[in-house]
Amino acid sequence: MAEESYDETREIPGRWTERKRDVGTVLWIAFLAACAGTFVIFAVVDPDGLNDAWVLPWEMGRRLVYSLGFLFLFVVSLIAGALTAFMIRTGPRRGHAHGRGQPPVPETHPPEENNPDLDIGDFR
Amino acid sequence: MTEPASGETLYRKEPKIYPRQVTGRFARLRQIAVWVLLGLFYLLPWITIGGKQAMLFDLPARKFYLFGLTFWPQDFVYLALLLITAGLSLFFFTALAGRLWCGFACPQTVWTEVFIWIERWIEGDRPKRMKLDAAPWTTGKILRKTAKHVVWIVFAAWTGFTFVGFFTPVRELGQNVLALSLGPWETFWTIFYAFATYGNAGFLREQVCKYMCPYARFQSAMFDQDTLIISYDTERGEPRGGRRKSDDRVAAGLGDCINCTLCVQVCPTGIDIRDGLQYECIACAACVDVCDQVMDKMEYPRGLIRYTTENALKHGDTHIFRPRVLVYGLLLLAIFTGTVWSMTTRVPLRADLIRDRNALYRELPGGVVENVYTLKITNMDARGHRYVMAVLNNDQVEIDLGRPLELAAEEVAGISVRLRLPQSAGQGVQTLDIELQASDDPSIRKVIKAKALMPMSSGPSS
Repeated sequence: MAEESYDETREIPGRWTERKRDVGTVLWIAFLAACAGTFVIFAVVDPDGLNDAWVLPWEMGRRLVYSLGFLFLFVVSLIAGALTAFMIRTGPRRGHAHGRGQPPVPETHPPEENNPDLDIGDFR
Repeated sequence: MTEPASGETLYRKEPKIYPRQVTGRFARLRQIAVWVLLGLFYLLPWITIGGKQAMLFDLPARKFYLFGLTFWPQDFVYLALLLITAGLSLFFFTALAGRLWCGFACPQTVWTEVFIWIERWIEGDRPKRMKLDAAPWTTGKILRKTAKHVVWIVFAAWTGFTFVGFFTPVRELGQNVLALSLGPWETFWTIFYAFATYGNAGFLREQVCKYMCPYARFQSAMFDQDTLIISYDTERGEPRGGRRKSDDRVAAGLGDCINCTLCVQVCPTGIDIRDGLQYECIACAACVDVCDQVMDKMEYPRGLIRYTTENALKHGDTHIFRPRVLVYGLLLLAIFTGTVWSMTTRVPLRADLIRDRNALYRELPGGVVENVYTLKITNMDARGHRYVMAVLNNDQVEIDLGRPLELAAEEVAGISVRLRLPQSAGQGVQTLDIELQASDDPSIRKVIKAKALMPMSSGPSS
């Protein structure tokens, strides 16, 4: 399990930076998810019947509803993907689960140790 | 493999956190928050206002009942406004007072608090709990652990039941539970929410804040040097060390921190606030409470750990009114007053006149032209009304309604409407302003536009 040393600030021409990879992945996966979602939803729901629901005051054609449905799913997927990428990138670094990069656990001892005037009975 | 940096150990187990019980100003504040918030949650479904559950989100009927008001799908703009208000409040209070939300109002904190009360009640205080966990599995330990989980599960189940009670009338739901005739969806959501409560408040606890919560990551962006944070006064506290109360700490070269480590023991996220502000800190102020008590014991001034700001720590002065606080505050005020104003002036009537698609118009004997419509009308009020229909800008129109305009509370109706005009009234498209008004309440009034079609010349072939 040898770990190569590398310079985090060095960029290699032709290779994507971390940021580029994040943005590209989030966009592409959100697009795929929105496509699949739109496909499934409008296979079941006919947008022409939606006017009966009478929520939106204008009459919308099928094509407009298909497009709005896709855009809505795309935006929702984008938000979910972008937040996930953000959480992972800003969270604990690689190796955290294996014990690396953690601050030491704060040391504790009985409060009355070295403090003979402290009566621990006063603290639950 | 490289050697770990000093102070770091590979493969160290993250210790389980046993927060020590704390009393004091902020603990009391949190207790009040828990009682108020959970009280609202558990009691609201059981309170009836105006014949309706105080808070009921009736999804199948697509109506929300909030404190005697009824919201329809058409009111979804209020939902958007509510979300914007909630977001802005979070920004505003974070900029002003830091992670108030995390320490006192977040459901994760509030339910965890209750689960820890139960744990403490059954397993005892921190040292007892640590000892119990370290002890071998005896009958006593099994009994205690079982008892704790049973109480947790009962409480979680009640929580799940209450949650579903916001979506299904809770009394009906209660009867169904007692009769063991709960529907499949209600059963699923009750168990789902109960399981989430049990897992989050019983097991995940501070891990949710540390690893999963986006707000915990974002909040630093809303902070500035004047935001309230919980901070240890290093200047005053260091060098730390144990001592007797009677010791002369100046002569001994000691600061005010007696290194009792109580601030670490009460911390629900297991950090040492004396290491400085850390993203794990949820600003629950338990360390403030316990340190104040220790300072009282030692007869030192309080506030070695306290709510303060970076600026106050550095040069003693802090500004409450900063541009970002003012901007957030003004936006919040504007949206809030706008929402309240629009809600109080809301007309509980909705109407649309939809042309009959099959015919342009009909010519009746006697030189009269008839246009046929469907009036889609919704009485959004909680009581029935009779409405009067009139054409405002054309007094030659004769209105023929398919049925009287009387609607019960929250009734939706489609009523056929025939408008008859003499041919002399005009040619081509006539735009009519049609007024609907409740006969018993003139403030319930709506004007809608309708297009009436007329023959182009006096003698068209039909």
